[in-house]
Amino acid sequence: MVTAIETDKLIKRYGAVTAVDGLTLRVEQGEIYAFLGLNGAGKTTTIRMLLGMVKPTAGQVRVLGASLPTGDRQLWNAVGYLVETPHAYPELTVRENLEVMRRLRPGVEPAAVSRVIDRLGLAAYADRRTGTLSLGNQQRLGLAKALLHTPPLLILDEPANGLDPAGIVEIRHLLLDLARQEGVTVFMSSHILGEVARLADRIGIIHQGQLLQELDVAELERNRRRRLIVRAHDGRVALAVLLNAGFAASLTADGAIELTDNAAIERPDEVATQLVLAGHPPTRLAVEQEDLEPYFLRLVGLDRAGPDV
Amino acid sequence: MYNLAPAVWVELLKVRRSRMPLYTLLGFALAPLAGGFFMIVLKDPELARRVGIISAKAQIVAGAADWPTYLGFLAQATAVGGFILFSLIVSWVFGREFADYTVKDLLALPTPRSSLVLAKFIVVAVWSAVLTAMIFVIGVGVGQVVGLPPAPAGVWGPGTVVLAITAGLTIALVTPVAFFASAGRGYLPPMGAAILVVVLTQIIAAAGWGDYFPWSIPALYAGIGGVQSLTLSPISYALVGATGLVGVIATLVWWELADQPR
Repeated sequence: MVTAIETDKLIKRYGAVTAVDGLTLRVEQGEIYAFLGLNGAGKTTTIRMLLGMVKPTAGQVRVLGASLPTGDRQLWNAVGYLVETPHAYPELTVRENLEVMRRLRPGVEPAAVSRVIDRLGLAAYADRRTGTLSLGNQQRLGLAKALLHTPPLLILDEPANGLDPAGIVEIRHLLLDLARQEGVTVFMSSHILGEVARLADRIGIIHQGQLLQELDVAELERNRRRRLIVRAHDGRVALAVLLNAGFAASLTADGAIELTDNAAIERPDEVATQLVLAGHPPTRLAVEQEDLEPYFLRLVGLDRAGPDV
Repeated sequence: MYNLAPAVWVELLKVRRSRMPLYTLLGFALAPLAGGFFMIVLKDPELARRVGIISAKAQIVAGAADWPTYLGFLAQATAVGGFILFSLIVSWVFGREFADYTVKDLLALPTPRSSLVLAKFIVVAVWSAVLTAMIFVIGVGVGQVVGLPPAPAGVWGPGTVVLAITAGLTIALVTPVAFFASAGRGYLPPMGAAILVVVLTQIIAAAGWGDYFPWSIPALYAGIGGVQSLTLSPISYALVGATGLVGVIATLVWWELADQPR
């Protein structure tokens, strides 16, 4: 089976700025691959190189087996895409904007326009000029353009951008259905790790143009730090009890006791027993998994006093 | 040119849905109206002075209130005003894709970029030609209203041909503006280039080299210097053709090869 997307030591420089720096990745057919990074990490530049909009300074790109740049425009029949914030012709209606795309993709039957309007929940806005649409509906229209010709490969830049929480769930289910039921390959970029973890099979983390880590979602779960949080009426005494019992415990800023050793995380009942026997029963005992965001920030080295993301 | 006809359909849809055709028609309609005004003045300059439609200090250009003069005025207006107006059309047709950020949707399609660019040029040419035809029709109406004497035989044919050829030469010369709209990614760079060309045209024509500066040639052909248009050499026409071709090729090459990072 042909690999859906392959890049080999991809580099893109704009003058002195290196936007993408030696990126090698491989996306197999039928998988949902999330490309995760902060703003300016190189996600959109990579996507533009995958779509032949920007030429690499060095390295190679292969999409569905075809090396870019390719003279074979038919390759793009197999690719649907959304790059950055979607834009449409503001004086044309939703239906007309999709009709424009249909005409420029020969072979797509007229009924495809109505079908994709229904699929993306745009029926109520079909005859409205796109200049009057909300950001969420502009996003839906952008996704509709990508899905119009039912391509086997979708390249989507921040597909959840601008959607409300219900819209995010809806699009997540849509993409999962496409991948699971129809075998569509989805390559998507995002800067929201929580969203990506619910959707992707594999995640590539890009920072400053370089691929820092590539992992499956199961691996991500394993890599996230876990800790046992204990609260007691007298936290200091309870801490002393646990330290005496040989646990690696410390007091957090808000007065809770944090235990990070596996013995404690795997057997919280042991910890509770020690405290009860010492006459300081816990008022709270919980195993917490590191949030995805801190994990991501830790990975990109922004976990201490970094900028807001 | 794979899928060219649908690409032309798409461009025509964008034009039909916009207000630009109306605005450009209103702008260009000034030409026959201004021509009508001059015809009224030329019919009876003294009367025009007395009723105050021209100042006592007005210099009346030599000419008669008749159809050849009026059609000649329309051709000259097409060469000068038409260039600015057709440049505006090119700037909109090409520059809007960048100003509205819609260009990214056109770059990874089975329809080649060259077909999209050619479709745009075709629509620009048709739009400009239709505008010229409309000012001709409006001009005929205005000429009737101001009471120009009936034209003798042999006036309409040559007058119409000169207007049509002037429009054709002017349309050919706006293709480089498309390159500036594309490479400049918007409206201002192409309009800046068009205004610069108009200024250069004045200077070069005044220096007497107008025959060899492509953008002077339509106005010279239309007889703006009061000189018979037939004195232009084939080199002048070839220069116009070459300029048009260079504009088309430069735009095509830019769309095919330039990075599109926005």
